[in-house]
Amino acid sequence: MANLKDLKTRINSVKSTQKITSAMKMVAAAKLRRAQEVAEAGRPYSSRMQQVISGLAANANKSNAPELLVGREDVKTHLLIVVSADKGLCGGFNGSIARQTRQEINRLENEGKSVLVYMVGKKAADNLGREILNKTFERIENLQGSNVDYNKVKGVSEKILLGFADNQFDQVSIIYNQFVNAITQNVVVAPLIPANVVGEQENESLVVYDYEPEQNELLELLLPRNITTQIFSALLESSAAELAARMTAMDNATRNAGDMIDSLTLVYNRTRQANITKELIEIISGAEAL
Amino acid sequence: MAESINIELVTPSEMLFTDTADMVVVPGSEGVFGVLPRHAATLANLQRGEINVYNSGSITRRFFIDGGVADVLPERVIILAERAVDLDSVSIQQLEERAVNATESEASFIAAVKKAI
Repeated sequence: MANLKDLKTRINSVKSTQKITSAMKMVAAAKLRRAQEVAEAGRPYSSRMQQVISGLAANANKSNAPELLVGREDVKTHLLIVVSADKGLCGGFNGSIARQTRQEINRLENEGKSVLVYMVGKKAADNLGREILNKTFERIENLQGSNVDYNKVKGVSEKILLGFADNQFDQVSIIYNQFVNAITQNVVVAPLIPANVVGEQENESLVVYDYEPEQNELLELLLPRNITTQIFSALLESSAAELAARMTAMDNATRNAGDMIDSLTLVYNRTRQANITKELIEIISGAEAL
Repeated sequence: MAESINIELVTPSEMLFTDTADMVVVPGSEGVFGVLPRHAATLANLQRGEINVYNSGSITRRFFIDGGVADVLPERVIILAERAVDLDSVSIQQLEERAVNATESEASFIAAVKKAI
């Protein structure tokens, strides 16, 4: 049986772990509120942008529409933008992104396409390791939380547009964790190129729009902006989701540490009592022997 | 009484302005145009310039945008702008703080905003 001193040390070490996890939980909770507000404030722009693009696309002349909208006929290479966190200790957050990425890579390769990945955040890249060694288009870190800035994201999307124009890849999609609420995050795979055109409500597309300038010109202007917007909102969602995941994970960790302390304390007390009993027996039997 | 039109001015980070007004004037890339209620459905690209919100004949709110797009329907107009500034509430000092580590395009936008104030 472990001796008392060892048990005491263990209890103390678990206690300090618990302090750390509960502090992390509170920090995550405080940051989450802010991140959630930011993510929610960003939603109107991206949803309206989507709406405008969908409306335009529904009325567009498909034959000479931009490639960003209709896509290329011959798809050789697919770029996956993978959004994960720079830090761990957030439960299944990074793991589920990595798993989904692996699935997507397999699926695309089974379709005979080659895959490139654009890694945002450190953790998914670490997790996928060698699997993406020859597939990495670019890696970027420190684009999370309060560092998510529209101008920075614009730099990212410009690089992607250049790569597309340069025929380095023919399709683009983005994988990220969508923030649903504090305990739920959904892994989402959303297409960027060709643009994700949702079936617009019929009454809306019936409206005959005047276009200034011409439709296709307008599409050429808006589609790149739309890509920036979609990446931007994905990053905001992911940041909020990361904090939510961390909060839940740390809450669980704190609770588990509590359970552990309880059971260790029980063992400690039993051992202590057993020791006392043993000593008493020794004294008594010593006294009887006299 | 005259009808009014719903206006939404949205940037990637926030909903900057949403209200009803008598008229709004936006800087279209092919010319500044005013939007009154029952305006024909239009989708217009916008260039850098001022957005003026009119109520009973005079300007009540002023914004400055760095280009964007306006989605106009008879009863509402949605303006999507990558950068926008509320000219009524922004101060020179705030702008200068923003200009400190701004990119080239943002710096030129800020300079334009200063002129417009």
